[in-house]
Amino acid sequence: MTSVWNESLLGAIGRWGLMLLAVFVLFILSAFPFEIAYLGEVRPFFMLMAVYYWTIMRPSLLPPLATFIIGIILDLLFNWPLGMNAIVLVMAQALTLRQRKFLLSQLFLVIWAGFAFIALGAGAAQWALFSLFNLTLISVKPMLVSSVLSALLFPLMVLPLAMLHKALAARPPSASS
Amino acid sequence: MLFRLQKPVLQSLPLKSMTLRATPAALVLLAVTLMVLHRADTLPVERLRMVVTDAAAPVLANVSAPFSAFVDSLEGVTTIRDLKAENIRLMEENVRLQQWYESALKLKAENQSFRELLNVKADPTLMFVTSRVVSDAGGVFVKSVLLPVGVQDKVRKGNAVMSGHGLIGRVTEAGQNSSRVLLVTDLNSRIPVIVQNTRIKAILAGKNQNLMKLERLPPDSGMTIGTRIITSGDGGQLLPDLPIGTIVSIGSDGVWVKPLSDIDRLTYVQIVDADANQTLATGEIVPHSPIQSKNRR
Repeated sequence: MTSVWNESLLGAIGRWGLMLLAVFVLFILSAFPFEIAYLGEVRPFFMLMAVYYWTIMRPSLLPPLATFIIGIILDLLFNWPLGMNAIVLVMAQALTLRQRKFLLSQLFLVIWAGFAFIALGAGAAQWALFSLFNLTLISVKPMLVSSVLSALLFPLMVLPLAMLHKALAARPPSASS
Repeated sequence: MLFRLQKPVLQSLPLKSMTLRATPAALVLLAVTLMVLHRADTLPVERLRMVVTDAAAPVLANVSAPFSAFVDSLEGVTTIRDLKAENIRLMEENVRLQQWYESALKLKAENQSFRELLNVKADPTLMFVTSRVVSDAGGVFVKSVLLPVGVQDKVRKGNAVMSGHGLIGRVTEAGQNSSRVLLVTDLNSRIPVIVQNTRIKAILAGKNQNLMKLERLPPDSGMTIGTRIITSGDGGQLLPDLPIGTIVSIGSDGVWVKPLSDIDRLTYVQIVDADANQTLATGEIVPHSPIQSKNRR
């Protein structure tokens, strides 16, 4: 016999685990380069997808401090200026949070467009910060390609997550024991 | 239905929404401060980075093996149609290389006899550590790779890293079981080099592009396309005479060098170090940073 308390606890643990898994997978993906012929090496913003998605779905699961810490760890691992990923991720999250109520009631297409907007902004911000940090103008192209690719890959990364999330939330108590 | 994200339950209390809005601003401010402090070199970023890298390297090493196998298999599929042309090219190259092999043997013997005649002091024996590249995390902005070998495997900060034909970078951080290699194409990479034919010294600067730029060249230095660029060993950081690349373009925007190795597709690399007792071999005292001496006990 499963009590309501038990079921919600299981659900919470499941969702946490799912979120951590998603963050981990996207984190690992972030560490590998994608070679595209004629475009060179590009890096889709996988972490940004996770932050955007979880901010809309469950903002309580990914508080700004957690986003900040993830950003700092990415900076350390990527050998980037300390704080760069953190700034971009925290700002993207704050922006998403403000539009959350609007986005929740929209079709997936609108949410996707929102992400494309955020990805372009993130690319521009990273390019500007990096140029400032090194006091040289660096090439815009790889950043632009990464932003566009991130926008294109977004549904591919997020749809399975959305389905999983839905399945987990709608699971009857008997199936979980 | 499937395309509509599920609506979760959230009651936003006024207090909660206030803290949610306040913290991002504070965190962004904190991040900016960190960036400024990093830029000013007042933070022990390098040591922090080593801790994170040491923790992440084994995980990445385990995960990257199947991942890169998958990517390799994808590449295999795309190259099958090029296989025939590739085979012909390789056979031709093999014929050419065999001729080179013969002449190399001849030159080696000749060199040996000259050395004996002149009583040349022996070169320092080199130590090699071969490692797989676990990730090249930096991406668009930073050209660096992670290796799952560190101080435990006698890798030291400043070691040269080679792949196949030429130098690809140097170790900038060495943790216990991981190290980070700054590639020669990185924006912050500056390597003292010699233009092989003319013995002109210059600095090879990375530009975050596929090509590197020769800087600090004396005017009218008479470069030709195809000339090899090798390390000069000036500054005592890198070993001398390691090949890096060849000149591919000379124009009004400078002299550009293409690396000998395919830097975008690194799988295995070799970390090269002079014999432990370099002072004896070269007669020079190599300067070490405090962190480096700590790593060496």
